[in-house]
Amino acid sequence: MKNFLNILHNEWRIMVADRSLFLVSLLLIFLLGYALFIGFTATDVREERIRELAVQQEQKLSATAKQISLIESGREMPTAFSNPLNPALLGSGQGALHAVMPVSPLSPIALGQSDMLPDHYRVSIRNKTTFMYQTENENPWNLLTGRFDPVFVLVYLLPLFIFAVSYNLVSSEKEQGTLRMQLSQPVTLQLLMIAKLTARMVPVMIISILAITLPFLILRGTAVIASGQLLYGLVAVLIVLAYALFWFMLALFINSFGFSSAGNALILVGIWAFLVLVAPVLLNVYVSRVSPAPSRIELATETRLITIDGLNRYQELLSSDYRHVQESSMLLPQDGRFEVPERLQAFYLINKSVDEKVGTLLADFEMRLFAQQDLVERFGFVSPAILAYEGLLSIAGTGTRRYQHFTGQVNEYHQQWKDFFEPRITSGLAMTVADLGKLPRFTWRELDSGVVLIGSLMKALLIFLMVAVLFLLGLRNFAKATDIL
Amino acid sequence: MTWLIVSREIREFYRDGRFLFGAGLIVVLFVTAFLVGFEQRKNVFSEREVAQQLDYDDWINQPERHPHDAAHQGMHVFKPIPPLSFVDPGITNYVGSTQWLQAHRQTEVKFRPAQDATGLQRFGSLTPAWIIQMLGPLLIIILGFNSFSGEREQGTLRQLISLGVPSWKLLVGKAFALFLGALLLLAPLLMLAFWIAFGDVQAGDRYDVLIRLGLLVLGYLVYLGIFIFMVLTVSVLTPASRISLVVLLAVWIAGTILAPRVLVDVARTVYPTPNQVEFNAQLNQELRKEYTEAWKEHFGVEDRWGTDVPLSRWGEALQVDDQAGYNAIDRHFGALWNRYDDQQRLQEFFGFVFPMLSVRSYSMAITATDFSHHRDFAVSAEQHRRLMQNLISSELVEHADGQGEHHFDYKVSKEFWSRIPPFEYAAPSVLFALQRSLNSFAIMCATLLFSFVFALLSSRKLV
Repeated sequence: MKNFLNILHNEWRIMVADRSLFLVSLLLIFLLGYALFIGFTATDVREERIRELAVQQEQKLSATAKQISLIESGREMPTAFSNPLNPALLGSGQGALHAVMPVSPLSPIALGQSDMLPDHYRVSIRNKTTFMYQTENENPWNLLTGRFDPVFVLVYLLPLFIFAVSYNLVSSEKEQGTLRMQLSQPVTLQLLMIAKLTARMVPVMIISILAITLPFLILRGTAVIASGQLLYGLVAVLIVLAYALFWFMLALFINSFGFSSAGNALILVGIWAFLVLVAPVLLNVYVSRVSPAPSRIELATETRLITIDGLNRYQELLSSDYRHVQESSMLLPQDGRFEVPERLQAFYLINKSVDEKVGTLLADFEMRLFAQQDLVERFGFVSPAILAYEGLLSIAGTGTRRYQHFTGQVNEYHQQWKDFFEPRITSGLAMTVADLGKLPRFTWRELDSGVVLIGSLMKALLIFLMVAVLFLLGLRNFAKATDIL
Repeated sequence: MTWLIVSREIREFYRDGRFLFGAGLIVVLFVTAFLVGFEQRKNVFSEREVAQQLDYDDWINQPERHPHDAAHQGMHVFKPIPPLSFVDPGITNYVGSTQWLQAHRQTEVKFRPAQDATGLQRFGSLTPAWIIQMLGPLLIIILGFNSFSGEREQGTLRQLISLGVPSWKLLVGKAFALFLGALLLLAPLLMLAFWIAFGDVQAGDRYDVLIRLGLLVLGYLVYLGIFIFMVLTVSVLTPASRISLVVLLAVWIAGTILAPRVLVDVARTVYPTPNQVEFNAQLNQELRKEYTEAWKEHFGVEDRWGTDVPLSRWGEALQVDDQAGYNAIDRHFGALWNRYDDQQRLQEFFGFVFPMLSVRSYSMAITATDFSHHRDFAVSAEQHRRLMQNLISSELVEHADGQGEHHFDYKVSKEFWSRIPPFEYAAPSVLFALQRSLNSFAIMCATLLFSFVFALLSSRKLV
């Protein structure tokens, strides 16, 4: 132990003197800080937008309520396509409400899919295809490139910083001729290596963890604690620790073969390129081949066929005269009831049949994507980069699973919305101000936190397992030190 | 003399495990990428053609019905797949492929493949372009980082110089050897692309594809050339191979991994774009304004579709209403897309420092998979929608408006459907691509010249 501490102390003195650790730390802090800034900014924008949506929605509702009162008291005249008393119109756009997925408090860690997939949909009585296909407005070039968020710095760049301080643990001593001198002391090569590695590991780990957690605690601490996601944060820290350890142990293992410094650097970067750049891309190819998404073109074709079928079936209703357009008296209910124009009824029915048929197709898309994500979970072990990325994404609430969870709930809500309006449309009940209060509201159910935590924890444990294997292999090689000397 | 140097270098590569291992791995990846891309393309390619044909057949064979209802059924048009997209799919995964041409409103091009993929997609996709752009420079670094520093360490550099070999000849010889290494990367691209391009391209497109291939290879040679001279320069200037390698790897990571992402944020800050909610809100506001004005001007009424305009004028009203919206739609979408363009140009410009940024842009333009090509399709599709809409409205004005309040009883005869032509999209020619890629190509060439001159100047230090 005493020897160990001596080496540690000595190493730190050397590193302080040659400033290498200082530079690496400074750069790492800077990059993580910048990435966090991007993450916080993007999250703020999303939260602000969701707040705005809620405000706009309430304003619109109260304006609609006011309009209903004015029409009921005869002070305003509705028009054919803007009549809040008409359930077919109110349910299909005028009164449509938003289904919103809240932003996770830990979302700044990873933008994930949030720049591409919508976190809100405007649900109406129209069929799903009219509102479920929207995407975020983002330059496709930027989507393709990806953003500079903390998960990027951690997964892609942190390993390189680790290499920078540990690629020449043995080789530099050997190249300077100091290795034999050190080993003439009563220390084993193994102890020397572990101590040298520890001297580098401790500061790098502390810096990476602090650089992330401190800004979080300062800027969002209360939000994280209030939402009960403190555990999530701890699991994220665990993933980062495991991931950093993995690369340190890899460096130890490669060092144990006794190559030159340049050889070590080359092999390490080669492995990094394979695990971080190539493996995820290869797994993505595999996943999309095993569980390919159904054809969107077929979906388009199917949608059209159903629409044609509907147009033919409801030809009668569609050809109805539109007398109400001319006679405003027809736009007003008599004793709370009025005739919903047959054309509007027809459109409602066409939309309904599109939903019924397209629903199964869309469910197939969801299923396939679910299966793809399952495969990613199952084969994530091929690269710790995949494990860390996926783990951090689900902690940040910007991963595939949570978005799927959202669309599933939107589907349910859509059904509730239609169930609310259908009887009113078919029996021509006029909407009242009281009805506005009864409109179904979307309530978000969060993913089961146990599932999220265990999933991410398992990923951290898997990485720890790899760490253990590499550590033992490295030690074994150092025990046969003859090759090195 | 130079040839002697080249052949010696090549022999050295060959004896060195580095080369065989690195190049072997990359070639395996490359072939995989090609096969995957090509297979996917074949499937989608035929599917789209068939779907488009079926869609139009259904349109033609509609029974007699009210034309406006037919417009609610609309048509789907599908974006054709450029022949070389399997080499570089560009933004294909992040833009839609299907446009629904329907009444009243321009819609977005829908169905982005990336929506049907997991988050892993964001790591990139395995394509020949990705491999050349990302791993090509790495291969050159691996081959060349010690080309001078290694000689210096072994003491052979002094011997060479003492033999009277001019330093520039050494440089050119070594550069050429690396260049052959780079060619190894591009050879499969050339051969496979030839075979594929001429296996299944219609005769008319052959020259177009051939020219594109030539341009693509040229662009990639310039890109890899930049790295060749940079690697040699660093190898001359650094005292040890170890340092040379670390410096080069740092440059590679900064240029291919860090810079693109940082510049996305720079571009978004300099040229911010509205998000979906803001964009729709602004567009709708403007549309309302335009509609109101148009209805006022034509019918002298405040309300759109109010009771004051009789059913016998609804055909006309549709005409007025649609026309009124066109300007606002064009303005807003145009402004948004121009912003995307600006963002891309800004990032391209940084290709002076980070060649990755200009080569990406260049490669996408040449393979017709960049945003400008997507935009061209979207605009054509929208034009077709307007053609359909205008024909329908004038048909309504002619006949339905005469039927008074039985406006919606009107059914157009089946002959009418074929008056709307099928959507035939002609993808822009290679000239369009050239125009789009001129900027990025010029930037790459300037960087190449700069790195070449720098390498020459630094090689004088050898003596």
